[in-house]
Amino acid sequence: MPIRKLCMTAAVFFLAASPALLLAEANAAASQPADTVLLDAMKKELHRAMTTLGKTGSDAANPAMTPYFMSYDVADAWTTSITAQYGAVLNSEQGHSRDVDVQVRIGDPKLDNTHGTHRSSAINSVTLPLADDIPAIEHTLWWATNRGYGNALATYLTVKTETQVRAKEEDTSPDFSITPPVTSIEPAVKPATVDRKLWEEKLSRLSGIFKQYPHVFSSSISMSVQDETDYLVSSEGSVVTTPYPLTRLIIFCSTRADDGMDLYREETFEARTPDGLPDDATITATINRLARELEALRVAPVTQPFNGPAILSGRAAAVFFHEVLGHRLEGQRQRGDEEGQTFTKDLGKQILPLFLSVSDNPTLASFNGIALSGHYSHDDEGQPARDVDLIQNGVLKTFLMSRQPIASFADSNGHGRAQTGYMPTGRQGNLIVSSTNQVPDAKLRQMLIDEAKKQGKPYGLFFEDISSGFAVTTRRSPQAYSVVPLMVYRVYVDGRPDELVRGVSIVGTPLASLNRIVVTGDKQDVFNGDCGAESGSIPVSAIAPAMLVSEMETQKQAQGTAKPPILPPPAADNSTGKESAK
Amino acid sequence: MMSHFKIRTALFAAALLVVSPLLLAQNASTTIPTDDPVLKAMQMELARSQAKLQLPGQLKPYFIQYRVEDLDSYDARADFGAVSQEHANHQRAVRVEVRVGDYNRDSSTGRGDGTLVLTSPDNNIDALRFSLWNATDMAYKSAVQQYTNKLAKLKGFEVPPSYDDFSHEKPVIHIEPLAHMDYDREAWKKRIEHTSGLFLHDAELGSFADQIQYSISSVSAQVLNRYTINTEGSVVRESRPIYRVTAGVGTQADDGMHLDRSYGASALTASALDSAAVVDKKVGELLIALRDLSNAPVVSEQYYGPVFFTGDAASDIFTELFAPNVEADRPDLGTTARTQGEYTSSYKQRVLPNFLNVVDDPTLKTWQGKQLIGAYEVDDEAVPAQKLDVVAHGLLQNYDICREPVRDFPQSNGHGRAAIAAASRSLVGVLVVRSSAPQSKQAMQQKLISEAKDAGLDSYYVADTLGSQLAPRMLYRVNVADGKRELVRGAVFDELDQRSLRTEITAAGDDAYVDNFLDNEHGDVPVTIIAPSLLFQEIGVKRATEEQQKLPYYPPPSVVAK
Repeated sequence: MPIRKLCMTAAVFFLAASPALLLAEANAAASQPADTVLLDAMKKELHRAMTTLGKTGSDAANPAMTPYFMSYDVADAWTTSITAQYGAVLNSEQGHSRDVDVQVRIGDPKLDNTHGTHRSSAINSVTLPLADDIPAIEHTLWWATNRGYGNALATYLTVKTETQVRAKEEDTSPDFSITPPVTSIEPAVKPATVDRKLWEEKLSRLSGIFKQYPHVFSSSISMSVQDETDYLVSSEGSVVTTPYPLTRLIIFCSTRADDGMDLYREETFEARTPDGLPDDATITATINRLARELEALRVAPVTQPFNGPAILSGRAAAVFFHEVLGHRLEGQRQRGDEEGQTFTKDLGKQILPLFLSVSDNPTLASFNGIALSGHYSHDDEGQPARDVDLIQNGVLKTFLMSRQPIASFADSNGHGRAQTGYMPTGRQGNLIVSSTNQVPDAKLRQMLIDEAKKQGKPYGLFFEDISSGFAVTTRRSPQAYSVVPLMVYRVYVDGRPDELVRGVSIVGTPLASLNRIVVTGDKQDVFNGDCGAESGSIPVSAIAPAMLVSEMETQKQAQGTAKPPILPPPAADNSTGKESAK
Repeated sequence: MMSHFKIRTALFAAALLVVSPLLLAQNASTTIPTDDPVLKAMQMELARSQAKLQLPGQLKPYFIQYRVEDLDSYDARADFGAVSQEHANHQRAVRVEVRVGDYNRDSSTGRGDGTLVLTSPDNNIDALRFSLWNATDMAYKSAVQQYTNKLAKLKGFEVPPSYDDFSHEKPVIHIEPLAHMDYDREAWKKRIEHTSGLFLHDAELGSFADQIQYSISSVSAQVLNRYTINTEGSVVRESRPIYRVTAGVGTQADDGMHLDRSYGASALTASALDSAAVVDKKVGELLIALRDLSNAPVVSEQYYGPVFFTGDAASDIFTELFAPNVEADRPDLGTTARTQGEYTSSYKQRVLPNFLNVVDDPTLKTWQGKQLIGAYEVDDEAVPAQKLDVVAHGLLQNYDICREPVRDFPQSNGHGRAAIAAASRSLVGVLVVRSSAPQSKQAMQQKLISEAKDAGLDSYYVADTLGSQLAPRMLYRVNVADGKRELVRGAVFDELDQRSLRTEITAAGDDAYVDNFLDNEHGDVPVTIIAPSLLFQEIGVKRATEEQQKLPYYPPPSVVAK
């Protein structure tokens, strides 16, 4: 099971935080002392590797054979995962895993084995002993380091050849930034004691609510706890321990319309411990809402292609900005022959309407009482997290940086993130969109109707909920994005009630769509989720107000071709079956 | 066509129980229990599906089969003396097979059709039925589509298949008691830690301990309870607990050659696995053998002559070269072959020397007190297991076959076996290879020497154990003149194939090596192969042409100084 790099506990208060935010973080994980026995074993073996590799035998004469940088990053994770469906437990597991990412760099910071397309040559991972058994830990680290060194060495030789035979690159930045070592020993997460019987019973009971909805063909409710502490040791002398407690409750249901279109609804609740999850009444209300929405969607009319004004709810706008903007501001995308580099040359230029600003602040643990997925104190290269102003009043200021430099920026700004097993790259944490051109949400709706009238359209669209599609940022594919709308309404200019429609997908090119935002609402909403990209899947959040867009292009979504189930679900079938099938 | 197999009845199985007290209490019953919620859910949903499931304008299914697999599993692994992984899970999955058409021609594609859905390990009837309903819907829709495609495809061939798509079999009711995991988790974790850390404290190993590159031990318990019911009226509940322990150590010789040794044991109960003392002794021997191997010379260039294979090695040969070819797999649509594999045209022909016989008897539960994990009473298509004469006097008499007939074999012989979550296919159960003229160890020895002398050779080879793809792990070159043995490394065999099985075996021993293993070619189905030591008159032994890998760039942390 891939281990996600997780957000951080509220136990860290060395960064200035407003009192309101401190009060809001009521659900904090318990802590215990960091595992210094593990740290000592890691330091000792890393030192032995650094002082022996490339220095013995025939290699002793060649300093180029010695790694100039190495690090060990251990993810020590305690997990619980319980899923229930249709009134019964589907799966219930608990486990403990320890994995180490070994990073080896050969060459020098200007040119090393991670150059160009070879970034992943620096990393390899292996499972570590679960207990602090020193000989076993040392042997395992040796084995993985040996493997990593061999790979790095072979790749470095390839890199050197490539730089000699290929054309000069556009971006000649170094491969690794120079930065002072970091020491930060935070307490480890004390794994939550999860009463499995209690949660199995609770989730079973709650999942049974879906039985009342005969057209919900598939549903589940699951709870997962991932209490992880990361231990990082580097040859530069960095020693960083970072706690990441994360608990989630996910409700999912799906159906299929008579024409074969698959439809689903989903809701995620996030907390630092199981105690922070919502109570039964809230979960029950959510289940009923999602099921009713799904039943309505199933029989809603299919939309037609549309080009006109639209409102994105705060939650939908948050997803939109994450996909359309966030990925394009990741540092390493500004470099590399394969990347589209949408905004690379736009530093200092206006790329959004002047009233919009975008920052990424992983130091924020929660927002308006909601725990934030993208919260961490130190990134996966041990760099302290920083609140970064990416876009100020519409003007592009900087990118999300790891320790991989780009032409415009030499240094990390604490956004080097990765899933276990991947090399860190610049990634989002908590993306925050704020606006100085705000109106109350009710006014926003009226402005949508006015704009539709102005454009001669019978309605405008309201996107209440959307899901991430994919973001294509490479040169070879057209610069398109596709997010998946889940709940979309037509807001008629003639005063008719709003009409739910299905089969909508948003298309467009990023630059154009961003600059058609006219005005925003005055409340920011939070979207928590996982983001997948080159350095793997990581937890993130995005925060944005609702937005009015003067022109949004939509098309019909691809249809599924399967029919809905022939027989009703067992609990809903009251007929005796004695009559012959027709 | 003459049938050579005899049908074992439940009475015979009961007689075996009386004779062998080491067996599990397999008191199989022919009464369907009324208190089993899983069976109840399956029966209710099957009845509903049989009565009502039909797409407008399409055929109703003529056959529906439900399978529910309840798997309670545990596994743990230790490296270098400490546990590194541990998983425990209890899951249940539903597998539904729907057939449209008729026994002669139906929707089956030959790729193992069936729809799989995860379901609840709780005994909640509604939840179980919900999963069955979902899976049945998907399976039926696929079957309707596949039936149309198949009929269209068959029109492209001149001669349709002469055999039925699905055999007619009598319904069977067979209910075994449920199995439960019986296993001291903490004790076993300590054992694998101890086993994987043996090299750290082995006095005999000396400084070679610093050359050990990996030392792993793992343990697993998989307790499967499987339910199968179908519209023909069969109701089967079978339990299959498998406990397994393994160990593996490895190093590299000075020239970079990887050297590996491993140990594994499987049984139906944890208590039947080797004791800690036995495992420690065996792993100690593996470590010394690794040291000896790394000091051993690389095998000389080339040799063609007699090779003696111990029972351990011989059972691997039968696993790799023989068993897959006596499993009847339907040939590609439109071809006239009987089955797939090397013995497709060997029915009633010679495949082994005339003194060798092979029987596949899944009803054989123990062999000289040892549990045989390949044994079962009813196969995974609800057909009773049959004892088969596979080879008699060297001539092939029978293939293992499931409910998918092939030319000359219209019925199943109870060898339709399924890996977890997979379709049933023709598979071996308990394969016993025996000589009608078994030779003592001394007689084998003398024959070896005389064959070598006759060929004008000054040495011959003895293969103790084999690794993957039949490459020898412990191979000795023996001097004809004085019988001196020398361990060699880096060899592979040449011409060890079906032809040499047929023509080169000149003697078989009076021993019997029992190999219990999980056949991972087919998703870990438990199999037993029992074979005697074998003497091949002429097999090639030559150097492997493997890439020599680099030795470690720096030494492991030293254990010797401590």
